Amino acid sequence: MTKTAGGIEVEGTVVECLRNATFKVELQNGHKVLAHISGKIRKNYIKILPFDRVLVEISPYDLTRGRILFRYRT
Amino acid sequence: MNTEKFTEGTGDQPVVVTRVAEQQWHALADDEVVGRGDVSRRPDGRTFLSIDSWHGAVFDRLAEAMLADLPTPLYTLVDETDRDVTAGWERVGFTVGRREWVYLVPTDPRVTGLDAGLPPSGVTIVPVGEAEEGPLRALDRVIREEIEAAVGWQTMPAEVLPRPHGTTVVDASKYAVAARSGRYVGLVRVAPVTRLPRIGLIAVRADEQRGGIARALLAQVLGSLHHSGVEAAAAEVDESNKSATALFEGVGARRVSSNLELVLRRHSRRPGQ
Repeated sequence: MTKTAGGIEVEGTVVECLRNATFKVELQNGHKVLAHISGKIRKNYIKILPFDRVLVEISPYDLTRGRILFRYRT
Repeated sequence: MNTEKFTEGTGDQPVVVTRVAEQQWHALADDEVVGRGDVSRRPDGRTFLSIDSWHGAVFDRLAEAMLADLPTPLYTLVDETDRDVTAGWERVGFTVGRREWVYLVPTDPRVTGLDAGLPPSGVTIVPVGEAEEGPLRALDRVIREEIEAAVGWQTMPAEVLPRPHGTTVVDASKYAVAARSGRYVGLVRVAPVTRLPRIGLIAVRADEQRGGIARALLAQVLGSLHHSGVEAAAAEVDESNKSATALFEGVGARRVSSNLELVLRRHSRRPGQ
C-alpha cells in the first residue's frame, strides 16, 4: 500500500465488470472496492477485463470506492 | 502558476486549482491532491482532456481552470454509461461529437458463419505475421491517404490514430493482408492482447471495396484466433460507419458498450467575462 499526494494507492485484481463503467476490484488485503476507470486510462483506450491486475487509488472520502489508475501487463 | 481558491461543495477545506505543468492541473485541499486534470494532443492535432476528482464541484473548477487556459475545440472521451463524468463535461459546455460502438466479435466459425468464407476470385489472404513489410507499408500509406481525402480521421475510432507524416506500419507482424496479382489491396491489424485481442484496423483500397475482401480478411484472423483457443476479439466502430457496422454485425458481433467523444467547439463564457 502506498500513500501518495493523491491518496492511497493499492494493487488489486478485477473480479467483475459492472454496469455504469464500474468494476469490482479485490485488493491485496482481501477487501473489495467499486472502482471507475481514470480519465487517462479512458483517453488512452486501455480496456479493463476480469482478472486484470490494476493499481487503484482509494477515495479518501469513501474507502469502498476507488479509481483504476493503471493496468499491469499480464 | 495559475491558482484559484474555492470551498463550495468540498467541505470546509479550501481547494486550490493550480496548473502544475504544461499539460497538468491539480486541485489541492490541505496540501492533498483531490483532483487532477490532464491534456494531451493527438497526432491529428486535436486536444483531449481528462479530469479525475472525487467531487463534482472539484471537477467543475478543474474544468473551468483548464478551459480558461486552452483554445477550442477541445475533446474528451467517456464511457456512455458513466453518467456522472458525462454530466460533468456537459455542465461545462461539452456536447456529443460522435459515438463509437464497442463490439465483442466471436471467433468460432460456427457462430460467425465464416467457415465457408473463401476470398473473392483472384484474391489470396496472407496470414498474420507473413506479410512483406515493404508492400504492407505502401498499402497502409495509400489507405491513409484515401481516408484523409474522404471521411477523414475524425470519424475513425481513436484507436486508429493518424501517425506523424511518413510513419506507417509500426509492427508488420500484427497484420494480415489481402493480395491480388501480387499487389496488396486490403489489410487487418490484430493487437494480440492476451485475453481479448483487438481488431485495430480493417481497410481495403477504395478501388477494391464492396467485393468481400474485408470479410475474407476477418475470416482469416478470426479463424486463426479460434484455433489458438481465443473465443472473442474486440473492435470499435464509429456509429456512422455503416459498412463496418454491417461487416461486424454480419458475423455475429454484439455491442457491449459505447464510447462518446465529447467536444467543446467554442467557449460559451470565459472566466472574468
